[in-house]
Amino acid sequence: MKAETSSVQYSKLVERLPITFRPFINEKLTTMDRLFGFERNSIETFLSFLEKLSHSEFELLFKPIRTVETKMGVAQWTFSREGETLENTSLLAHSPYYQEWRRAVQGVFDEVSRHTQSLASQSAENGKHRLILIVLPHSLPVKAEGVWGEWSGQGRQLTLQAINSSAASCSEILFGGEGESILGKAADTAGYSAEDMWILDAGSTLSKAIPAHGTPREMAQSSTYLSYDELFAFREAFRDRMNWIQKDLADADKVIGELRQTDVTPWCPEALKSQVATREFLKELFLSGNGSVVFGNAFVQWAANEAFRRARPTVLVACFGMRNKPKPFTSIAILEDQEHTSPLPDTADPAGSAVDAQILARYVWLAASRYEEYKDALCLCVADAIPAIYAIAPAEHNLFKEQEPMTVERVRQIAREWMS
Amino acid sequence: MGYTRGEAGLMLTVDFSKRNFLKAAAMLAAGSLMAQQPRGLAEQATRHSGNKVVLLISGGVRRQETFSAKGAANIPNLSGKLLAQSVFYPNIRNEGITSHFNSTASILTGNWQRVDAWGNQRPTTPTIFEYLRKDAGLPAGDAWLISSNKALTRLIGASSAHEYGSAFGANVVFPKQLLINAVEAAIQEGRKQSLSDRTKAQDEIDNILQGSNYEGLGWNVLDGTSELDPRARSTIQRAVAALIHGSGPITGDEFTYWMSVEIMRKFAPTLLVVGFSDVEAAHFGSYSLHLGGIRNFDRLAALLWEEIQTNDAYRGRTTLLILPEFGRDFDGASTNGFFNHRSDSESCRNTWMICMGKAVKNPHVEEGLVRHVDVCPTIAALLGGPTPNGMGTKLAGLEI
Repeated sequence: MKAETSSVQYSKLVERLPITFRPFINEKLTTMDRLFGFERNSIETFLSFLEKLSHSEFELLFKPIRTVETKMGVAQWTFSREGETLENTSLLAHSPYYQEWRRAVQGVFDEVSRHTQSLASQSAENGKHRLILIVLPHSLPVKAEGVWGEWSGQGRQLTLQAINSSAASCSEILFGGEGESILGKAADTAGYSAEDMWILDAGSTLSKAIPAHGTPREMAQSSTYLSYDELFAFREAFRDRMNWIQKDLADADKVIGELRQTDVTPWCPEALKSQVATREFLKELFLSGNGSVVFGNAFVQWAANEAFRRARPTVLVACFGMRNKPKPFTSIAILEDQEHTSPLPDTADPAGSAVDAQILARYVWLAASRYEEYKDALCLCVADAIPAIYAIAPAEHNLFKEQEPMTVERVRQIAREWMS
Repeated sequence: MGYTRGEAGLMLTVDFSKRNFLKAAAMLAAGSLMAQQPRGLAEQATRHSGNKVVLLISGGVRRQETFSAKGAANIPNLSGKLLAQSVFYPNIRNEGITSHFNSTASILTGNWQRVDAWGNQRPTTPTIFEYLRKDAGLPAGDAWLISSNKALTRLIGASSAHEYGSAFGANVVFPKQLLINAVEAAIQEGRKQSLSDRTKAQDEIDNILQGSNYEGLGWNVLDGTSELDPRARSTIQRAVAALIHGSGPITGDEFTYWMSVEIMRKFAPTLLVVGFSDVEAAHFGSYSLHLGGIRNFDRLAALLWEEIQTNDAYRGRTTLLILPEFGRDFDGASTNGFFNHRSDSESCRNTWMICMGKAVKNPHVEEGLVRHVDVCPTIAALLGGPTPNGMGTKLAGLEI
């Protein structure tokens, strides 16, 4: 559905919503044609449900929010109804009733989800097998006894046979296999679209490790492929504009509003130029921060978090990588751009990067595990520096019936069968 | 020596010990210089043996990376020799807005503050600095806040409260901002090569302290608006030299530490608030840099305690309080775990505090739940100030 059509169709409904609820809905409606399929369906299901409620049911549902809005004095605020702004957030967060308001809003979403059975459970019932592949490349020094130690027994470490070929890493073999590749199999399903497969790379490791998927451009056309390295121009241009923000809410909203309106196509790698939703996704990703414009590993983790939340992909690959050590002086002032502003040579930080990647890998899984769709997903964590793989899957999964040590080829075969 | 109450408010009782006599003689020898000093500083120079408080506030750290079985490795000093001498509060709660400015402001005022998170508004109720300066007669040079935290502004030093305000506020110094301005100026003016040479970097920093450059630092030092007070400048230059030529890492907290030490040695403030923020590298998503910040905090906290024990103006009369502003979000939180401090969770709100020194007669653990707003009335009581009109109450377990 087109954004203009949606806004018109639901305009009367939106007017009936509590004031603090409107910006979120309005923003979704006005950006409808820039959303991923999953979130478009979610918002339409949500609004359709509200439309079908009787007047008394509608009022009962929103009564807790209206009550807390009265206590907060929202009617007297200068509160944007059109979209979410930092000033809105600030007004809410500074109210002593903020936590009560959050609980009331969550209550509405929970209640609607309970009645609609949510798209999440529907898609889970579709029997779609989902796969999460997490890669810590060889450059990250990790130890077998500690690398997955924080996962609290959610999965199992499986021992692998030594790899014969010195040229190949575990992840290269896992992603390889001409005609037998896992990703190729996942893409070979009815109704597949690029939104179903997300490939997130802190550097350019994956474009080398996935030969079966072709060049970065081919990867980007057949999947949602985002490489921190290849987004260099995008990040630089975006960060430059972010630096215009003064320490003032109104000014920040102004700059953010302008960035949302900016055509970022010229900053995009070639293959991304035609992917509208992904381009907008990147804007929101960088605007929401969380280190995504500063470090490749933070970019991968936060992009995965947002991909699960907004697109519910069938396959997500998260490959971590290396960051440089902070440099004296420049790192204090401009950590995000010290490579270019400091005359000192760049120095890689393998040990620090490995520590970062280990916790962020777990955060990728934790993000997925918030959603019903990934309840029975297969999650394979590969650290190329050690002959082992960490797997999370339902207890009866074939992977756990194999004799160890396994070959990587056997792991690939089982994962491929899982995607069939 | 200590404070006593008299008709004119707070007065001094004088200690005629040999050490203080010799110091007083040295002051007389510098009489011509003293005559030019602001009134507050001259007064301060004669009051070396009063109670003092050093309050060290770090950015957000979770219990799991600090006072836990695994986290203790990151804080060998805090969990070792410092803990052994302390009254330890394992449960101190931030019940306010968990942003930097509001959290620090709540600690300093004893009231949960809900002002602009970017420091564009003053706290709405008086800070401990104002209570002590207005109501207890503490001179201007006797209250300092030195912080690495970029989220703070000079408005943290005094409130907008009626009859209080900036006339009774603290001296506020942000050493990290000095480094930032120096680096930015060197880059913008085509001298980025200076940043690879420590001596040239020192020149860049010194240059910022001169004339109109000073105004851009957002500091408030001895009421100097357009130029830095000459004695403050020499103190700061010593801190810069210690940072540049020292063996420690060049970080914001390292500089804040050196600045604090030099201020203690020169001005010996009765109340010194130190803010560390290297741990906030977490916002960029680097866990290893966050852990590095925690280790730095631990090391510098121990060094600060050493300074208190070796500095004549502080030894034996100082209480050191150490606490984080808040924790951080829990792993798996929709607010992205350790990156942020936004969740309404125990991981974010519940942390710890260590108290050491003069007010600790019997090291022990105070298990009960206390709150950040209890810190302000405790400091007021420790320094013989008035009881602040706030939400907090004096902490149990200390000798006040």
